[in-house]
Amino acid sequence: MEFSFSVSAPTKVDLAETYDLVIIGGGPTGLTAAIYASRAKLKTLVVEKGAPGGLVTTTEWIENYPGFPEGVAGPELGRAMQEQAQRFGTEIFKGQPENINLTSNPKEMTLGGKKVTVRAVIIATGTKPRKLNIPGEAELSGRGVSYCATCDGPFFAGKELVAVGAGNSGVQESIFLLKYATRITIVEYLPTIQAEKILVERFNSTGKGSFLLNHEVLSIEGSDKVTGVKVRDRVSGAETLIPCAGVFVWIGLVPQTDEFKDILKLDKWGYVEVDSELRTNIEGVWAAGDVISGATRQIAAAVGSGVTAAMSVEHKLSQQS
Amino acid sequence: MGMLKEEDKQYIREQFEGKLVGQVKILLFTQKLECEYCQPTEEILKELSELSELLTLDVHNLQIDSEDAKQYNIDKVPAIILLDEKDKDYGIRFFGIPSGYEFSSLLADIIDVSNGASDLAQELVAKIAGIQEPVDIKVFVTPTCPYCPGAVRAAHKIAIANPGMIKAQMIESTEFPHLANKYAVYGVPKTVINERVQFEGAMPDQAVVEQVLAAIQVTDS
Repeated sequence: MEFSFSVSAPTKVDLAETYDLVIIGGGPTGLTAAIYASRAKLKTLVVEKGAPGGLVTTTEWIENYPGFPEGVAGPELGRAMQEQAQRFGTEIFKGQPENINLTSNPKEMTLGGKKVTVRAVIIATGTKPRKLNIPGEAELSGRGVSYCATCDGPFFAGKELVAVGAGNSGVQESIFLLKYATRITIVEYLPTIQAEKILVERFNSTGKGSFLLNHEVLSIEGSDKVTGVKVRDRVSGAETLIPCAGVFVWIGLVPQTDEFKDILKLDKWGYVEVDSELRTNIEGVWAAGDVISGATRQIAAAVGSGVTAAMSVEHKLSQQS
Repeated sequence: MGMLKEEDKQYIREQFEGKLVGQVKILLFTQKLECEYCQPTEEILKELSELSELLTLDVHNLQIDSEDAKQYNIDKVPAIILLDEKDKDYGIRFFGIPSGYEFSSLLADIIDVSNGASDLAQELVAKIAGIQEPVDIKVFVTPTCPYCPGAVRAAHKIAIANPGMIKAQMIESTEFPHLANKYAVYGVPKTVINERVQFEGAMPDQAVVEQVLAAIQVTDS
């Protein structure tokens, strides 16, 4: 048996009353921005509700981030980025900001019951998995419907699964799930597989997976737990029930901008609109990474976006002081 | 070669040095046979307890020390309890090895017990401190779930705010499949309060406090 032990910073930080920069979101974007801001001697706080690395932590293995020829585990990469930021003085608050006031000057928010004021804010909240919005999905969420393979994979040992979406995430995470599951059918709405060929080859070589292309998922069946998925052939119109114990959904991502939608200018999909320096429509508020309009939503791109935002913040604040 | 990397030990040492105030006793209940995770749990706790003079580890056997097990309501192993220097039980329980992301929950809990308080907002502490009936919170996790420590910590912080009444358990689902089955756990984190109220996912502290208050009302009616 092999065990790993995550030693990320305990939550108890003694928050200051004021910061130069608060970064909301501790994924690759936020942590990279923090590295740059801290090195520029800005008093920087990163607020992250989950584990260091954000969505990266749900990716078992990352092979397209440069510098790791053999690949790197998502949680490991997230943790390393956090440590690097902390080394230069970044503070990490684990939790969710409340009572955020972005329009005041300085800006304000409450963290764990304590009010802090801040000169600049970077929104790096990223994305969360998109839902299918079909019958059975919400009812059976946590009862066989899942969006996190590393979280819930172990519950499906010896079971058959359906994955929805043949993009990189769907295929990569399905390969991971086959550590536990005996068989996986990946259902894809489009007539083609979107994932990188190297992943498809690896999935096919397991001998335990198959693709069902050009099929629409109509509903998830089951009363107290998932028993199957109903799909429709988009060519013939024929409906079939695929029996399974679980459904993992990877049909893309949606931005986490709900709490800012009345204040920040968003595009029609809910992503934050920014200029070339990643400034939003509100003075003193930047947005970076997967949450901005037009992002490619790749870790390497998120990292670059964090740098751009941090340098713009530094430039602005140095003019003020 | 130990279970913790040398650099991690150093990091934890520094954290403990800055943040521990009073002694914390780690009680571990274990057994020799039929417990795959007991031995590694004991090993990791032994390494951990050596990282601060304020930590002690007390290992009990579930069968031999059955009176102690009864006192702390321990019915399965490995089980971890944190006591402060006056042997005060803060209602914190870990059932199963606190590996992966849950190790960070344990570190944070140790710091809280040492301080006798968590960072739960004052208004929420006040609401929880007013509860006058027993509350049992179970949080089902897997060690590879990055959202799970959020749920575990919320439950443990609530217990710390009213340890006389509230017990909050982390349950490592893969080690106790019968419980995962009984409570229909197919996704984590899953929280079950007083066997009545349940929800999936990590929620902000305030929302969890509201669920605890709702669970009491359900129990009352």
